[in-house]
Amino acid sequence: MLKKTMMSFALAAAMGAGLAGAATLEDVERSFYPYRDGAPTAPGLEVGITIDSANVARFREVLDPAIFDQVSKGWVEIVVGETTSFDLHPNYVEATRKGLGQVVLGDELGQIDGFVAGRPFPEEPSADDPRAGEKLAWNYKYGYNWGDNAAIYPFYWRYRDLESGKIERTLKFNFHFLNYKHRVNQEPIPEFPDNPSDLFRAIYVQVLEPFDVKNTQLLIHRASDDLKRDNTWLYLGFQRRVRRLSSGQITDSFLGADIMIEDFEGYNGRISDMNWSYQGTKNILLPFYNHNDMQLATDLEEKDGYQFVDFGGKGGCFPNITWQLRKVYVLEADPIDDNHPISRRVHYVDAQTFTLPRTLIYDRKGDLWKSWIIGQAHPDHHLPKNKGTGVAIDDAFSMLDVQASHCTTGQFKGQVDPSLNPVKLFTVQNMRATGR
Amino acid sequence: MKKISTLVIMLSGAVLLAMPVAAQEGEWDTAGFVENATYYRDGPGISKSRNTGQFEFSKDFGRKFGLSDFRVSGTLRGTYDATYDLNEGEFGDDAGGPRSFQNFGSSNAQLIYGGDGSSPWGQSILGAGAGPGFGFDLASNPNDGLKVLGEDFHSPQGGVTIGVPVRPCDEDGRGCGLDDYLDYDKNDLRFPEFNKYLDWIRELYLEGSIPTGDMSELFLRVGKQQVVWGRTDLFRVLDIINPVDYSRHNIYDELEDIRIPQWIATAEYRWGATDTFEDLNLQLVWNFDEFRPNSLGQGGTPYSILDAGSFFRAMNNCWENGCTVSNFVPAQALIDAGAPLPDAGDPGLVAADFGPGVIGIRQVDLPDWELDNTQGGIKLEGVYNSVGFSLNYYHFFQQLPVLRGGIEAMNPFTGEVGVWDRLIAFDIAFPEVDLFGGSLDFYVDPIKTVFRVEATYTQGEEFVNTLDDKLYSDSDMFRWVLGMDRNTFIPFLNKTRAFLISGQIFGEHMLDHELEKAPLGDVGIPNWEDNYTFTLLVKGWYKSDTISPQIITAWDYEAEAGTFAPSVDWLISDNWRLIFGANIKFGDDMGDQQFDDCRSCNPFPGFTGPPTQTGSLGLGGIEPLGRFRSGPLGSASQEDEIQLTLRYRF
Repeated sequence: MLKKTMMSFALAAAMGAGLAGAATLEDVERSFYPYRDGAPTAPGLEVGITIDSANVARFREVLDPAIFDQVSKGWVEIVVGETTSFDLHPNYVEATRKGLGQVVLGDELGQIDGFVAGRPFPEEPSADDPRAGEKLAWNYKYGYNWGDNAAIYPFYWRYRDLESGKIERTLKFNFHFLNYKHRVNQEPIPEFPDNPSDLFRAIYVQVLEPFDVKNTQLLIHRASDDLKRDNTWLYLGFQRRVRRLSSGQITDSFLGADIMIEDFEGYNGRISDMNWSYQGTKNILLPFYNHNDMQLATDLEEKDGYQFVDFGGKGGCFPNITWQLRKVYVLEADPIDDNHPISRRVHYVDAQTFTLPRTLIYDRKGDLWKSWIIGQAHPDHHLPKNKGTGVAIDDAFSMLDVQASHCTTGQFKGQVDPSLNPVKLFTVQNMRATGR
Repeated sequence: MKKISTLVIMLSGAVLLAMPVAAQEGEWDTAGFVENATYYRDGPGISKSRNTGQFEFSKDFGRKFGLSDFRVSGTLRGTYDATYDLNEGEFGDDAGGPRSFQNFGSSNAQLIYGGDGSSPWGQSILGAGAGPGFGFDLASNPNDGLKVLGEDFHSPQGGVTIGVPVRPCDEDGRGCGLDDYLDYDKNDLRFPEFNKYLDWIRELYLEGSIPTGDMSELFLRVGKQQVVWGRTDLFRVLDIINPVDYSRHNIYDELEDIRIPQWIATAEYRWGATDTFEDLNLQLVWNFDEFRPNSLGQGGTPYSILDAGSFFRAMNNCWENGCTVSNFVPAQALIDAGAPLPDAGDPGLVAADFGPGVIGIRQVDLPDWELDNTQGGIKLEGVYNSVGFSLNYYHFFQQLPVLRGGIEAMNPFTGEVGVWDRLIAFDIAFPEVDLFGGSLDFYVDPIKTVFRVEATYTQGEEFVNTLDDKLYSDSDMFRWVLGMDRNTFIPFLNKTRAFLISGQIFGEHMLDHELEKAPLGDVGIPNWEDNYTFTLLVKGWYKSDTISPQIITAWDYEAEAGTFAPSVDWLISDNWRLIFGANIKFGDDMGDQQFDDCRSCNPFPGFTGPPTQTGSLGLGGIEPLGRFRSGPLGSASQEDEIQLTLRYRF
């Protein structure tokens, strides 16, 4: 009896941990190249058409509910582009192949074993798998989001009034990202040797303008152990001090924007901070495009001629880009902390890149609060240095607070360039030295 | 220092000439603002109308001079404070006036002077004729442009007070005889940055690094700069490298704006992450600039922390020109000595007119610039197991002045010049201090609170001590601060944005504190042996952080004095900013603190007391030492203000 019970337990644990239906090389191919056999289609949806308030009802199935509502109200029009493959870097795909069958979830939320690099769970999620959502979350966390490192250099944020279109503030940043572990493309591979705190990743942010927040810097150290809390520091230029941030500041507005630090990149927190549930697979329109083919902004041109994505629509809150019909996993994240300011996020995870181009955020009452767009640009149609990097370039964002009728928009100059992200940039002491 | 100044002018000139207007990546990064800050004080009226222009610049030059990331940075600031023109009657050329001095309970004074029995400056009962050191020349030291020490804060209450000249030093040079210390002309006050130290160059430094490995580098910075240690706000524990200008706005301005930049070289070896530490660096600091003390604000100016500037100016005038001191002598002592006073049974106290060279402050001993007088220290800082830490050592000159007695002065009764124990005749000094300290910061997740800790132990600091024959002694000091920061939602105030709640407790323990009971009161060191100051900041944000209300409160435990400072910061646009605030004091004021004032110190046995008396009997009053017990909060108790600041950034 005991033996039978133990076997049942072991089987259940194995299924829950992900060994059941272990991924195959075919799964890897399907995961990374979902459009190899053709792009998805939807009735009446043609490349080049514009979805507006007059015809949006025909396309309800291929729009997430927030965008559907916004198009219905005439706030934005969606121009449909051709679905294209955003191939991630071959080294990342190869690392996934090498890791096949070796990665399992631990007993607790936030635990993973056997992971080295690549996509941890390349198999299709199953509605029957109670931990499918968690696996998708891991695929996002260990995704090739910015590769081994990248910089958004510079990065403009604008605070806008949805009703009047008034630009209330313009902030200019530099953002830097560095993976300490699970690296696949740039030396050292797979990880940095001197990493005493066993960091997985670091994000360093420097505010360049305007004057009142100039020299503000943010540093986030994310531990490899997901159960360990991030260490986050803020350098305030007017105080010339590095201050450690409490987690309360991670889930609060960052510098007055409609974005909290936890929103960065779609979700910038721990797996263990959320309960994850897989809600199904769909084909919907996502903001994927070729940057260089867009009608770009002319007001923020860089010296090298680079132009940022332009914004339009109601209040100037929507990027002027094209959208692709793409395969998504609908992933819901419910905060474990009862005091978290939101009740849930619904992420529309791009199945090929595991980026989070669309996220809907609900307030504590359960009402839609914010609509989060992160436009993804193909690296081969962006800055020359990004060509061939296999990184889906975060290129434009809009965080629309539908309750406050306010938005924050972001215009990126994403650069996959190791020289912009030396490891010494990601230290507390660098903040003091960079500050004045 | 002249060479440094010349170099600075040349360098800054070259920098400015080379600077294009537009700021682009890799080019000159420039920014600045112009600002008017106008404060209105209950009673005196306008206490500040400061007009500031500030310009910041920096440029990365890349690899230069063997350094990577070679950078030049600077900050220029010029200020015109119109207070001295707009409110001349309080703080300018017309400030003060004639004053009379209390003769507490003296029936003779009542008979002689009428009214409340107060005697005019220089016309005391104990005055000219009582001895060679009594009385002074009213022609050179007239009864005009004066205030009674502490009159803005308290009545004399039977204690000593002194006349304080309160007009700018070019209008009234009395009490301005301390060279390079609290001797400001009106233009010095109106344009405080334009002085011999070239304070209009707030910062100008060169920096760069020498890579020593993938993670490690040697970082060098030299020039006029602020070097910030520590993790606390408002009060300084470890943040002691740069002196502070309290005359700008007491303790209430951002330290960033009131640190006095110094010519400093720092060398910092950054290991980055090591086998043990998540981050580690070692910093050497050499402040090779001429020593400058904290600026306390001189007598007659709107912000004089502890009102010490008034006391010093009054005392310097006493030394140089003579002065009237209220309630100094029991009338009966004069009658017993044969003074021809009409009422032989006078129970009161009478004022005294001291001549020059008897009591007061003779001079200030600012350390000269020489290699041995430069200051420096070392800091090891890092992160271990997610806990930020630092270990610090710094050798410096005490930035607050100490009064050292034991100088040569005149016995007013005999005219003999000598060194007299317990005579209130001083030089101002700044002793050398060794500081050992450390700090921590860490996050406690279950309560979502960040903790900040600093502690320092110093040797060599000196304090007033009426038990000591020279009226000062040194004491080791232990100071610490515990700060707690938490972001908390207060839904009924703001459903979508958390409030920052930041509390701090400062503790101070004087290890060699001396205090004894004497027949008439306590004698010894007026500072509290143990004291605690609490601060609380609650700050919120609305409308995309463009509107930010906050409340700052502080409470001095022993002084039982506090301040409450609400304000609203409105970012009208990326360029315009308006701050409206108030600063309200509550609790006890300076008038509630008394201490031995050395009237009963008997410096001239046989004249000022029995020949056998060798120490103070402890007769006390509010002045002059109550300020040390009242602290910066209690001693500013009458400085309630509303404040408006408008800034345009570019």
